[in-house]
Amino acid sequence: MVTTLQPPPPDKAPAPPSGDLRTLIDELVAEQGKLRTPVACFSEYHNRQPDLADHYRNLIPLSRPGPGEQYAFEVALDRCTGCKACVSACHNLNGLDESEAWRDTGTLVGGKVAPGWQQTITTACHHCEDPGCLTGCPVGAYEKDRSTGIVRHLDDQCIGCSYCILKCPFDVPKYSKQRGIVRKCDMCHQRLSEGEAPACVQACPTEAIRIVKVPTTDERRDFLGSGILGSALPDVAITRPTTRYVGREVPETSFAADREQLVPQHAHWPLVFMLVLTQAGIGLLGAPIMKSAISTPALTWLGAILFNAGMAAATLHLGQPLKAWRFFLGLRTSWLSREILAFSLFAPIPLLLVAAPFLPFIPHVDPIAQALVLPAGAVAIFTSAMIYHDTHRSLWRLPFSATRFFGTMLAFLFLGLGSYQPLFLPLASLTICAKTAPELYTCLLGLREGAWTPDRHSGRLLLGPLQNFTLWRFGLAALAAVVVLFNPWLALPLLVSSEILERQLFFQAVQAPKMPGHAGPAALH
Amino acid sequence: MRLISNSPATPVIPAFLKQHDGPLTRDLVQAPGDFGLGKVPARLKPAATTTSICGYCATGCQLKLHLDDDGRAINLSPQANYPVNLGMACPKGWQALDPLAAPDRGTTPLLRDANGRLQPIDWATAIDTFVSRFRDIQTRHGSDAAAYLSTGQIPFEEMAFLGCLWRFGMGFHHGDANTRQCMATAVTAYKQSFGFDAPPYTYADFEESDVIVLVGANLCIAHPILWQRIMRNRRAPKIIVIDPRATETAQAATHHLQLRPKGDLALYYALAHCILRDGRIDPASIERTEGFDEFAAFVKDFTPDSAVEATGIPAETIEAIARDVSEPGKRVSWWWTMGINQSYEGVRTAQAIINLSLITGNIGKPGTGPNSITGQCNAMGSRLFSNTTSLVGGHDFGNELHRAKVSEMLGVPLASIPTEPTIAYDEILRAAEDGKIKALWIVATNPFHSWIDSGRLERLRDKLEFLVVQDMYHSTESARAADLFLPAAGWGEKSGCFINSERRIAPIRPARRAPGQTLSDFRIFQLIAHAWGCGDLFEKWTDPEAAFRILRDLTIDRPCDITGISGYDHLDRAGGIQWPLGRAALQAAASVEAHSQDPPHSTERRLFSDGIYYTPSGKARLLFSPPAPMPEPPDAEHPFLLLTGRGSSSQWHTQTRTSKSDILRKLYPSGAYVEIHPRDARALGIVDHQIVTVRSRRGSMIATAYLAPTVQRGQLFIPMHYPEVNRLTHPSFDPHSRQPNYKACAVAIVP
Repeated sequence: MVTTLQPPPPDKAPAPPSGDLRTLIDELVAEQGKLRTPVACFSEYHNRQPDLADHYRNLIPLSRPGPGEQYAFEVALDRCTGCKACVSACHNLNGLDESEAWRDTGTLVGGKVAPGWQQTITTACHHCEDPGCLTGCPVGAYEKDRSTGIVRHLDDQCIGCSYCILKCPFDVPKYSKQRGIVRKCDMCHQRLSEGEAPACVQACPTEAIRIVKVPTTDERRDFLGSGILGSALPDVAITRPTTRYVGREVPETSFAADREQLVPQHAHWPLVFMLVLTQAGIGLLGAPIMKSAISTPALTWLGAILFNAGMAAATLHLGQPLKAWRFFLGLRTSWLSREILAFSLFAPIPLLLVAAPFLPFIPHVDPIAQALVLPAGAVAIFTSAMIYHDTHRSLWRLPFSATRFFGTMLAFLFLGLGSYQPLFLPLASLTICAKTAPELYTCLLGLREGAWTPDRHSGRLLLGPLQNFTLWRFGLAALAAVVVLFNPWLALPLLVSSEILERQLFFQAVQAPKMPGHAGPAALH
Repeated sequence: MRLISNSPATPVIPAFLKQHDGPLTRDLVQAPGDFGLGKVPARLKPAATTTSICGYCATGCQLKLHLDDDGRAINLSPQANYPVNLGMACPKGWQALDPLAAPDRGTTPLLRDANGRLQPIDWATAIDTFVSRFRDIQTRHGSDAAAYLSTGQIPFEEMAFLGCLWRFGMGFHHGDANTRQCMATAVTAYKQSFGFDAPPYTYADFEESDVIVLVGANLCIAHPILWQRIMRNRRAPKIIVIDPRATETAQAATHHLQLRPKGDLALYYALAHCILRDGRIDPASIERTEGFDEFAAFVKDFTPDSAVEATGIPAETIEAIARDVSEPGKRVSWWWTMGINQSYEGVRTAQAIINLSLITGNIGKPGTGPNSITGQCNAMGSRLFSNTTSLVGGHDFGNELHRAKVSEMLGVPLASIPTEPTIAYDEILRAAEDGKIKALWIVATNPFHSWIDSGRLERLRDKLEFLVVQDMYHSTESARAADLFLPAAGWGEKSGCFINSERRIAPIRPARRAPGQTLSDFRIFQLIAHAWGCGDLFEKWTDPEAAFRILRDLTIDRPCDITGISGYDHLDRAGGIQWPLGRAALQAAASVEAHSQDPPHSTERRLFSDGIYYTPSGKARLLFSPPAPMPEPPDAEHPFLLLTGRGSSSQWHTQTRTSKSDILRKLYPSGAYVEIHPRDARALGIVDHQIVTVRSRRGSMIATAYLAPTVQRGQLFIPMHYPEVNRLTHPSFDPHSRQPNYKACAVAIVP
């Protein structure tokens, strides 16, 4: 309590910073620093049922799902009006990191008649029937609960490889840099199991979100007017999301408000280097096929170094690399598991080739290892391509990915062969040019006016925000294609650089399916 | 070995291969929160809780702050069972603690040095500088030569302290608040029509209406909790949205009138025309009005056909709406916000709505009323206590009896009480441009972003001898322009009361320590009073609750009488209290309900059920004037009409606070965007998300084009939250309320 307010000086002159003003300042600053703990005044009695229990009682099922059923979110579009409280509640009530929320909102717009149609879309994990995250995870860090159908992420099992992020067509799992793992919505299973509603359900002022039981083998899946060409909405056939959007008809003309947002995706630099360097390494290691590794130590050493540098780069991609030994748990469904296996099996070959001159006592080590390089390498590269193909992202479909990945390998193979047999140099040059076909095609699409498609979106990214990289990519490739005809060793750094750029653009220009976002400028990835 | 079987799809996997638990998993474990909370993150389990009214908009949601052992707020959730928000909040409320921890909080006073850089100083130097500079200006140029610009965002105890200190203690004449940008029109309209600034409704009216007309109000994102109240309406109401844009609210309504901007005055007169022509009136209600005959004669010419041009709405639709809002036996409520208030003829438009309510008898009854929804959390407190346009405590400067009463009750010499209200915000700035006002004191507002034609502020900055900015952040556009910066504690770090849209008074509480040397505005005013030499005037203003009691007593016999409120605890127990609650009324009610457990007053109360208004005659006035032309209509050079407004529920005004929350930032676009109709865009060769320039006669800005089918052709919409937008807006004002006309100016857009 301030009791030192002094009467004014009699002459009403401006007070200098006198002693009593300083005293008052000290007292007020000290008082400002106090928190009068209101426990005594306002503490309430503990241990009563949650105050909102009556509010959400009708918004969650009375009983657990029976056989052939699972829990699902149901969103009443006619009640969802864009307040976004669900996102904040998810953040606060789950105690998530500063910028983390497992629910997000966006807008669908469209309609041919005036006034235009618009709808806020709130979205969390769809707890899919066939979750892409689960099938993609190499270490089994996802489980689909047998009785509730909730797709749960095991945070301590996760190795932070982010493949689930690429696999989810709805952009649900999010990587946490500070933790080195991915986290995602678990439908507040801890709350549900005790009859409390999930945070978003509790917090919706208009009761637009509820938990329902849905049949698990249902083919209906009237999701969100999806399948509309050019809507930028994900294809529900991939993972069979269980969320139901009801209450308002979604016109066929509607599309995501952020469809035209040209935001480059994450570059995934460790993966860029991993892919390019392993493919280059395999190509170079395969090059001595017409001679022998022992007689071409430069090729073999260079190939082995590039390959192993690529393998080392791969581990940098993992948030929790020490837990990656469990990779075999995903072999049944995950191409990432298969890739790790394929590369692990391939890994001794470069070592053997390098070591061959020092292992004269092992018969035929050189020719056997040499003969294995290309078939085993091809298998490994195929698993790499399948990783991306399996995400169902348009730019990463197998013909495109395989052309790029095997193209890189072949370019380096021919370059290596050309180093001792110049007849192969035109072939190297041709390969360098030919493998740009998917990129050129995508750029051409971006140039032409036309309705939105994922490929055209990629093309616009390449010619828009990524323009400079695209120019350098093609420029370096052209230069390498020319120089390689005269001097393969001089062309080598050019080729490596151009392929690195190619792979950066592979990641950055992809159109990643996601739920609708908001219009306007977006934050960069 | 224990085997875990997960789902039929997953093979049986030995337990040691699966880590179902560990430090990362435990991060997310929940525990019962107690205090009626349900489960909360175990890490953030509260040791106690307290409550506070949200410090953003005037809905007045109560938040439950989760406190740790030190009484520090570590989390929050909306308060269940509070009569306003019933356990809900919008994202701004949910994230209310985030802005307190921002790195750009002011922690010490700053003074601009000879090199033009703001340097840290101590409070003694700051206060000394403040007092000597203002004293100097007063001595040299007189008491009209300085003004303050304050806010609707601080507790009214602080507003009253500021207003009384400035005008009674320091002897300056002028000071206005950003409430001029938000509520001045509603204030003036009510004052003129009802004799007192009295929004008559209670939020329960949303639930009890049969016809809800929302005018220029995008409740779904601007006041989501009020939309919640509409969704709780069980009477299957017609919801009519009158708005030039197909807003979120228009999407959710049952009817949308997409009228031409500023066509609404003509519309309401045409509605009145139809209603009077068809005799769908309430004679008893009209009996309680003045000026009916003149009004009836005036609207005779406003046939629906004559309004088609101005409104863009077919005559038959106007006829149908006229029937909807005059249906006998139906409860019709009208609700408006900035679409009306921020206009060059807002007062008359608001009064046109008031007139419709009066002639159809839709007032003073459940589910009715001409209801202005307020903007800022304490704009209503400002209206009663800021001592700017009305004398503190709901009095008139021009009324001799009022001045005598205030003089006696506050112990202020009668001569120190001005006989006129302050000049308005725009007049203060014009006086500054003319060199008549030499110093400004900006408190908790950001006019360098928010004032209409904001470039003017930057230009007049150089004409000011002294600019003081008192704010939470040293980074606001205004704070960066200051000569002296005073760091202020924010919501969550201090106490006091807010008054919400429905006249409900409720307290906020400190639950975070303010950083560094920061002081609450109340304490800063105490320091200044002391240093100026008028500390004796405020001797009894020892803390906000003491000030509350002084202000409460001052309201006796006024329409806003709150003498029945004993203190903050009473407000808390009662779930907030709507004014009026006079001591006499409270006692009478208490004796009737002595046996009841309920509080002796209803938690939802509305005004005018007795048909007695606050005018001298006790009758409401029907006021009107012909629609005025738009101050700056589009032309060949600037062919588009620019509308502004709220962008999303996660943005607040100039974003000094909302931009500090990572979660809120996720929920709105990171930069300015302009909504344009797809066909206009096509005609101009603009594609979606293209960067474009929008230009007016006053300035230009860069924005991302958003092809929105929800705006009409020939119109653009830009949210007000981006600082660039007010470089474009046109400085025209309502002649009665002096509120700026933010929502109509001519612009051009170029790729």
